[in-house]
Amino acid sequence: MSSGCPPQSPAVAKTEVVVEGESPLLAATFAYWDNILGPRVRHIWAPKTERPLLLSDGEITFLANHTLNGEILRSAECGAVDVKFFVLAEKGVIIVSLIFDGELKGDKNTCALSLILPQTQLAFYLPLHAVCVERLKHIIRKGRIWMKMGCSIVSVLTSEIVPIMELLSSMKTHSVPEDIDIKDTVLNDDDIGDSCHEDFLHKAISSHLQTCGCSMVVGSNPEKVNKIVRTLCLFLTPAERKCSRLCRAESSFRYDTGLFVQGLLKDSTGSFVLPFRQVLYSPYPTTHIDVDVNTRGGRGPDTVARADDTFTPDLNVFQDVMHRDTLVKSFLDEVFLLKPGLGLRSTFLAQFLLLLHRRALTLLKYIEDETQKGKKPFRSLRSLKTDLDLTEEGDLNIVMAMAEKLKAGLHSFVFGKSFYTSVQERDVLMSF
Amino acid sequence: MIGSPDVVAFTKEDGFAEVYKDPWMIPEEFSVPLFPHSGNGNPWTKTSYAKFTKDFILISEFSEQVGPQPLLTIPDESKVCGTFDLNYFSLRIMSVDYQASCVGHPPGCGYPKLNFVEDSKVVLGDSKEGAFAYVHHLTLYDLEARGFVRPFCMAYISADERKIMQQFIELSSEFSKASECLKTGNRKAFANELENKLKDLEYTRSVLHKETELQKMSNGCFSTQAIEKANELANVEKSIYEHKDLLKQITSYPNRKINDPEFLPYESGSPVDSADLGQEPTFREFNSEDQSEDHSIKQRPSYTPQLVKAKSAKCFDKRLKTLEELCDLYFFHQTMDQLRLIEKTFRGDLCYIYTSQIDQALLKKQKITNFLFEDSEWEEEEAEQQFCDGKQTMTNNLPPASILSVEPLSLDSYTSCVETVPIKLEPETNEDRIYGRELTEFSPCDLLQDNTDEGIDAEMKGSLSSGESIEVLGTEKSFKTQGPTVNSNSVANLQPSYPEVVRKKIFTRRTYSEDSIEILSTCESIIPEDLRPSYPSAIYEEELPVESCTDAVHSQTSMLNQAPGMLDECVDESGSNLQVESTCCIGKEDHIYKGSSPELAQECCANGVMKQEPQSDDQGDPTLQADFSLDQATFSEASPAGLPLYELNPNCLSDDVSRMNCDDLSDSTSFMSASTSSDRTYSPFLYGNPITVKHKKKFGQSALRFIRQYPFAQQAVFCLLSGRTLVVLGADEGTVRKLVNALSIFVPKIGKHGEAVKQWLSSPFQLTELLNWKLIGLHRVASPAGSSMVHSLSRYSRYISVLDIDHKTLRCPPYKGSLIGKMVDHHTQIKRGSTYFMHVQSMQTQLCSKAFLYTFCHHLHLPISADEDQDAVASRRTNFLHHQLRYGEDDCRIMQFLSELIKHHYLHGSSKGGTLPVFSFNYTTSFLHKP
Repeated sequence: MSSGCPPQSPAVAKTEVVVEGESPLLAATFAYWDNILGPRVRHIWAPKTERPLLLSDGEITFLANHTLNGEILRSAECGAVDVKFFVLAEKGVIIVSLIFDGELKGDKNTCALSLILPQTQLAFYLPLHAVCVERLKHIIRKGRIWMKMGCSIVSVLTSEIVPIMELLSSMKTHSVPEDIDIKDTVLNDDDIGDSCHEDFLHKAISSHLQTCGCSMVVGSNPEKVNKIVRTLCLFLTPAERKCSRLCRAESSFRYDTGLFVQGLLKDSTGSFVLPFRQVLYSPYPTTHIDVDVNTRGGRGPDTVARADDTFTPDLNVFQDVMHRDTLVKSFLDEVFLLKPGLGLRSTFLAQFLLLLHRRALTLLKYIEDETQKGKKPFRSLRSLKTDLDLTEEGDLNIVMAMAEKLKAGLHSFVFGKSFYTSVQERDVLMSF
Repeated sequence: MIGSPDVVAFTKEDGFAEVYKDPWMIPEEFSVPLFPHSGNGNPWTKTSYAKFTKDFILISEFSEQVGPQPLLTIPDESKVCGTFDLNYFSLRIMSVDYQASCVGHPPGCGYPKLNFVEDSKVVLGDSKEGAFAYVHHLTLYDLEARGFVRPFCMAYISADERKIMQQFIELSSEFSKASECLKTGNRKAFANELENKLKDLEYTRSVLHKETELQKMSNGCFSTQAIEKANELANVEKSIYEHKDLLKQITSYPNRKINDPEFLPYESGSPVDSADLGQEPTFREFNSEDQSEDHSIKQRPSYTPQLVKAKSAKCFDKRLKTLEELCDLYFFHQTMDQLRLIEKTFRGDLCYIYTSQIDQALLKKQKITNFLFEDSEWEEEEAEQQFCDGKQTMTNNLPPASILSVEPLSLDSYTSCVETVPIKLEPETNEDRIYGRELTEFSPCDLLQDNTDEGIDAEMKGSLSSGESIEVLGTEKSFKTQGPTVNSNSVANLQPSYPEVVRKKIFTRRTYSEDSIEILSTCESIIPEDLRPSYPSAIYEEELPVESCTDAVHSQTSMLNQAPGMLDECVDESGSNLQVESTCCIGKEDHIYKGSSPELAQECCANGVMKQEPQSDDQGDPTLQADFSLDQATFSEASPAGLPLYELNPNCLSDDVSRMNCDDLSDSTSFMSASTSSDRTYSPFLYGNPITVKHKKKFGQSALRFIRQYPFAQQAVFCLLSGRTLVVLGADEGTVRKLVNALSIFVPKIGKHGEAVKQWLSSPFQLTELLNWKLIGLHRVASPAGSSMVHSLSRYSRYISVLDIDHKTLRCPPYKGSLIGKMVDHHTQIKRGSTYFMHVQSMQTQLCSKAFLYTFCHHLHLPISADEDQDAVASRRTNFLHHQLRYGEDDCRIMQFLSELIKHHYLHGSSKGGTLPVFSFNYTTSFLHKP
């Protein structure tokens, strides 16, 4: 870190956040453009640590002010939240800034909410960037209304910055590795029914793929949970794996919106309180897998469920997997025919994933051709199914989910309804 | 009649009812857009509001005279930027000095210090303009500039914010290379400038010195002029000192940076441009102490020093150097090339870029099947390297060369594995005679003349049966002659106590004209299974087709050794034991016979065990590789407890031997081809360029047209996927070439340069060439040369399928499977060729996966217990294909062919020259299909 930065402005409030383990985050800041004084830092959040901080408050202030430089030229639409991302090698830091407009003391100001991390955490942070940004954008929208009402935005921001700090900290210790050893997964079993019921596994993976690879695995035994987590992560890309989290053995993490796969531990009473609203905020629908039910009673069909399309708090937001597929079924039928421990199954898995990715891209291209890149409505779903050999509903859902990740909005364009489970944010904002 | 609804339309809202206002309603400006992808929003239009048409690179500078200004764009087309305001965007991205650091005179230092600042990377956007950018900030040195620095930035501008962030690492890495190149060139130019300046200063000093001396001489030491001159001289001295220090600083950069573990000096990919540009051809971080740098300096045009003022005036009317002038020309052009490459790499829709990256990562994990349909040049090279490495390791374990050496290869002989009998081919001298004999002996129907004689097959609509029926099992003569010999040899080789290599030559020579390899027989006295121990990879009997036995439609697949000139069979054995497991196995070929039979696994189940991941054991376990080259004939009956013999004596033969044979033979094949016709040169069909996915996508359009136009397209593709050579016959070269291109997307193991495809041939082909060419475009000519071509077609009609595009007919075996239907659907609604190719590619990936499963499936290819015989194993394999994979007979044939290719590739690596490892053909009834 460089030194010799100008001293911090006198009245910068600071919140020290107690984070378990080592926090990769150096600080978070809220700054605004004062119409008289220029960039000013209003609040700093920093992890509480006994070790000396890598950045002094003065340096943090300097960096936070830096993020607002040039924003005097900003001509964004009202309500827009723009993201800036800095890798400042000279300072040895990376900064993520969300720039927005807000009312402070009756004046409209340009504001910046920033996260500051050491540059060494670049590879760690990048896969989580989208998760952090989406969550911060969400809280900023809430905060803008708060500001309009004349209240301080800081408390609103704190409600999300602290969980994000905890998330980043937990990902340092419990993230799923980029390369998963198939030996740590169910796919290393001698036979398909060894670890869990055959139908359970099929439904879990099928639903996992149909929900764009977004799943939560709940159970009482952390080893079992993590084995399923790793198994599901086999079907993700390396970047998505870095955005997945294993279950902690001692006590459960809280559910975090936006992760692809996360393992969650039940408490001593055998229950896990699921924040449904948080689940519905997730950018993709989520598969819910209860490992215990399967283990205890082998009730595969009831243990895998998927978040519903509409937000109905009084009803069960998860639905049982409706559509069966042939893709996952045949894969599971066949992969166990290969001898474990030789790498043959890894190769077979890679072929399966390649097939899914290619079929997804083909489907995307097919729709692109048919609709002239969305200029015409898509009316040939029947032909698509026949031409691309996707006559099974489950197969279509899996490939469509893969395509959705490639081209966001494709599902709703084709089917005319939102693919997403989340309650519309307007409703959320109105009700909070 | 006017009703109340009509009246309502004319009423005012406020007059009709008071509008309810929600007290909790938030102002419109705080409304949050609904979820961006809700409703029927067009997913392709989210980036369409940008004012530029496609991504581009912008280089901007923060000029000390005019502020931020755009310098150039890549591509350099005005229409790319459209109405996008480059000036405004430059202002936005350059408005902050992200590299703010001390430059100039640091405290306590009397003269300027250069600060080698690190590049900064920023992602920012302008949501209103719909423009997002990755901005790479860098600083160049300029002796004339304020603080000697000129801030620049290179920005990749896109309308897709997600692309920028998702590709951040790649963009950062590529732009860092460009930046490093530019900065290297700049340091070089800066050093040159300093040297020249020093020369100027020294020259000035000497002039001043003389003038001072003169002043002293004429006016005395304390005259005003003398004092002025002395001061001026002192200034020059000081300036020299400063410039020397600057030179020292700039030249010390590399040494300092090299110690930094993260420093990646720019390395020129192609030094060729340098000579054209008149620059030093090679890049080298220059250093004043470096001899090579001194050398390069000496090469520069001599510089004539000029008289300068000690301090150059900084004023706004001076002209700042352009970017090109700031940088050594060679490096500047290298940088521009790099930037053009970046633009090319990242242009287009993110989903294609991203999928391509995922594909590459996944393909790395399945090297064993990539050769079938993938376009992975890097991967082949890598695999080759691994094989080479493995080979190198193995060399130490090889038996002596004298033992392993094989007989000199004869170019005019050909080994038929059908009977393991070498068949002499005399292509030059006896060609006509052979043709004549062939025609007389087998009366093959002339494809061009006999079409009308064919009977209509009721089962195949619009198809005609050729009525040909040939069964080949083997000759009793050859069986009796050779069988026992080999068996006895095998028994001898069973003894684990004889580790030396034992070679046994089997001579059963006959001339081609005397004994035909095709024996028309339904003789039940010779059972193929009986032949297997002796000729394990030679015979493959297919099940009888539905046609009547009187027609002798008894299809057989056999194979010929791809090695023309291989007269001897050698059976080598040596080595120590290797622990392998017998339960998971596939067949293994001997080192001469490249087992191609679909039933090979059955025959050679005792020979090889695939118990390792291909990538790893290729390089990691040389003994295992050697193990795979065992002669299955020698060991098929060897294991007393059902264990393959290689478990007892695994190092029987090095893999190198077999590979050497393979390589040599392919060379000889090429040679032979070249000797018969100039058309036979082993040329790729795209003028030597590797066939890429891009090419294949282009071919996709013709392929789509073909499958829509011809109802028998499935049959044609079946031929290609099952390894049967397809000849496209036509008079018009363009049409033939186009169709060959179209069909080439279906050819397995097409080769890096399309070696398996002969795009255009205007002379008769030889049997040996069917080894290499699985798709041939043949010129139909009316001249006498044409008749010999017809002869060659007729002669090999049982090995090939012929697609006559002039008559729109296809003569080939029927296809009744379901696999190809998914890939080749006459009624497909796919609109574009590229989309169709993507669909084909997906289906081929699925095929690869199934073939891989079949090849490496546990407990499928070896007896599970000692008392299980080969029939049981064969039956298990068949059941697997029929019941597990649910394939019909024809689909099984595709699977078996692909499996054989995988097996060969696994055992021997990628064959040089793209030669297919096996020559397999089916004696199956061909039908004439008409549209």
